[in-house]
Amino acid sequence: MDFLKRYKAIFIMLPVVAAFICAVMLFFKLNFKPERQPDLVVVSPHPTAFVIPLINEFENETGIKTEVISLGTSDALKRIMNDKDVDVLWGGSILTVSSYTDKFYACENPNREHFEERFEAVDDRITCFTLVPSVIMINTDLIGDIEVNGYEDLLNPELKGRIAFANPGKSSSSFEHLVNMLYAMGGEDPEKGFEYVGKFCENLNGTLLSSSSAVYEGVANGEFTVGLTFEEAAVTMLKSNKHIKIVYMEEGVVFTPDGIYVSLESERKNYAEEFVRFMTSENAQRFIAANLGRRSVRNDVTELGLLAPLNEINTISVQKENVIASKDMWIARFERLFDEVNHE
Amino acid sequence: MNREAVSFRESIRRTFIRYSMVPVVVVALLVLVIIGFSWTYSVTYRNARENRETAGELKRVTDVWYGMLAEVEWGFFKNGEVLSTNKTYNVLYDSCREFGETGNLVVLSPEFEVLFSSKGTVPYYLTEPQYYDWGILHAVTKAYGRTVTSLAEGNLCIGKGVYSAGVLKCIMVYIIPDDVILRLAGSGERYLAITDENGRIYASNNMILHDTYGKISKEFDKETGYIKAAGKLYYLCRTEIDKGLVVYTVDDMTDYIRVIMLMIGVIVTVFAGIVFITYKSTDASSEKYTEDIRRIEAAFESVSNGDFDVRLNTGSSKEFKTIGNDFNAMVKSLREQITENKELATNVAFSQLKQLESQLNPHFLFNTLDNIRFMAKIDVNAAEKMIVSLSGILRYTIRDTREEVTLREDLNNLQFYLNILQIRFNKRFKYRIDVGEDIMDCLIPKLLLQPLLENAIKYGFGDREKLSVVIRGYQITDRLVFVCEDDGAGIEPGRLKEIRETLGKDTNDTAHYGLYNIHRRIKLMYKGDYGLDIEAREGGGTLVRIVLPRTLKKPEN
Repeated sequence: MDFLKRYKAIFIMLPVVAAFICAVMLFFKLNFKPERQPDLVVVSPHPTAFVIPLINEFENETGIKTEVISLGTSDALKRIMNDKDVDVLWGGSILTVSSYTDKFYACENPNREHFEERFEAVDDRITCFTLVPSVIMINTDLIGDIEVNGYEDLLNPELKGRIAFANPGKSSSSFEHLVNMLYAMGGEDPEKGFEYVGKFCENLNGTLLSSSSAVYEGVANGEFTVGLTFEEAAVTMLKSNKHIKIVYMEEGVVFTPDGIYVSLESERKNYAEEFVRFMTSENAQRFIAANLGRRSVRNDVTELGLLAPLNEINTISVQKENVIASKDMWIARFERLFDEVNHE
Repeated sequence: MNREAVSFRESIRRTFIRYSMVPVVVVALLVLVIIGFSWTYSVTYRNARENRETAGELKRVTDVWYGMLAEVEWGFFKNGEVLSTNKTYNVLYDSCREFGETGNLVVLSPEFEVLFSSKGTVPYYLTEPQYYDWGILHAVTKAYGRTVTSLAEGNLCIGKGVYSAGVLKCIMVYIIPDDVILRLAGSGERYLAITDENGRIYASNNMILHDTYGKISKEFDKETGYIKAAGKLYYLCRTEIDKGLVVYTVDDMTDYIRVIMLMIGVIVTVFAGIVFITYKSTDASSEKYTEDIRRIEAAFESVSNGDFDVRLNTGSSKEFKTIGNDFNAMVKSLREQITENKELATNVAFSQLKQLESQLNPHFLFNTLDNIRFMAKIDVNAAEKMIVSLSGILRYTIRDTREEVTLREDLNNLQFYLNILQIRFNKRFKYRIDVGEDIMDCLIPKLLLQPLLENAIKYGFGDREKLSVVIRGYQITDRLVFVCEDDGAGIEPGRLKEIRETLGKDTNDTAHYGLYNIHRRIKLMYKGDYGLDIEAREGGGTLVRIVLPRTLKKPEN
């Protein structure tokens, strides 16, 4: 009491100080501005260089303000499943996404009738977007006179430790390669393909990278001589004048399309449908084929850019259901094999 | 509220604190408020100004290019064909002179054949077939003659289709030189970005505002105001101009906040220092300023405790000096007066004592003389003895001027008195003196015991034939006690009460002198719980008791 009385002046000042601080806080608080909301939210594993021109044109063409969230395939898939604000998953192999088709919305898309037959035929809730085959990428400065035409040539002892390959558990393009290997080297029975995978692991000499980009960048900058990557990445490297060569495996190349998937829970399905229609339009598909290193799913787009024509490539097909069912098992088996040959 | 009085020193100190600390707090707060508000105002004002100026300049510059395309188109219509190369260059140079860079003006036919190019080269995005329905060309053909602004493969382009009777005649595309637009963006002292309506960045002076897709980062895509991005505070201005261009200017407030925080820290520290110093110095200065007050207080206290020898030495100020001198003068005069009063009181007491002890009862004298006259006729020896005794009494009364005598001396005198009484009353009166030899040399007031006997005679006989009186003297610890007891008639209660009341007073307005005088003399001579009291029963005798301090006669040298 006595203290209160004695320093009355100070106690009067305290509320004044507090009020002043509150006023300043309030001044800032009230002035915080919310974000300008996008009209459409797209989650995508595509590289930014691929995304930018397409989104730019989409926005210019439609005026739909689009936000792109960049995530790896599995994270992107998780995001669209759990986040109501995400409308579209753009990218991701239909092999990977097929098991979740019941979560997606069947878009009205007049472009589908221009699709090649096998792409038109897939489930309504999946829109095929582009084709991204696996390829072998070779650094032409380092390869010398070593002949590499397919998987078999990668067992060459001279390439031991000079092969760039990412963990298929972490990189979806590596998984595509694993599937390709199993079907190309095992014939109809992927189980037989593991014999090759074992030898291949031996020639990796303990080197397993952790991301797709480490593969093509590693080859382009000379860290590795050959790399197992996807066509688009290799073409992009070619376009930026790196000294590399693309090899389509003579044992066979699997052509799995990636897709565009619209969330069933999206509240902006009209915008999402417009997005799907734009990305599968002739203009966009032509631009992608000519400039961005991917193959169109449309039968009226013939541009190839730097890509090899399809008739020069030995294409093989896979049993979709089998791949979907065996994914985790195959990855685990690969990792076991890799550990066995590299830690004995 | 019961407000306790505080010391002068404390109230002086509080005054110091109140009038030094409070203004400091108020001024510090005011300074903070003023700095805070003027600072934020200046930040937002300058940001808004730069934004406005950049937007204005951007609009002006694009207007120049829009005008240039219109002029080229006009020339086209005039001649029914594309302007001559020279004339087109004229228009181009006239329009772009201020920028120091002409840029690339490309004119394409509806079939995308190059009709004119000011730089001689045509970028791939105007010639390759996959671009015919893509980017700037698509935007121009879609706009039907309106001038459009668009970003093509990282280059800002202005395009316009030239139509004649609804038919596309040619396409003009002007590729703006990077330098010109970057100069607009790069001149500012804050983050700046020029975007289209969808947030795609055409030019900026930093990478903070960019997202990975070359658009303005979601965190900065906000309306004018304070924003929070990446955990930091920014102030952002956003202006849309026509032609689908938007200018963002962003101030990072982190440094401002840090400076303001630092200032608050400094001010708080300084304030704390001032508070501390004030607190300490008020302690010292209030002590110094109130030193004289404490001296005055101490001096007054000494005086109230009876010490008149105190001197007050104050000199801190003229006023206190005056107070000190006046106090000293006052105490001095007080001291003198008290001394005078004491002397006066002593004189008064002395004269009173003299008067009291000299009360020789005239009745006694008359009775004794009458008895002597009578005795002289019947018993000459007895008469002579009475005369000797009376003269002894008178001599004792007159001769000795001392106030105190030994008990022995007083008893000797009492014997004269008893002799007279013995002759007067013969066998009717009996007495006994019972005083121990050990107290014989104690000092007592002169004529202490005689009035006791007078009193006993006066009231004791009543209608009785005989009276016996016993006088005892003894000591208890350091007191002498004398008791005079008789077996006489006693004193009636009313009178006894009257006598007792008289004993408690300083003056005697009754006729009972004897006992009162003894009591009064003892009270005047000795300080303390000494004096006389009386007990009596009606018809059952009287008892008078005297209590004195025991003092021995000083041995004479």
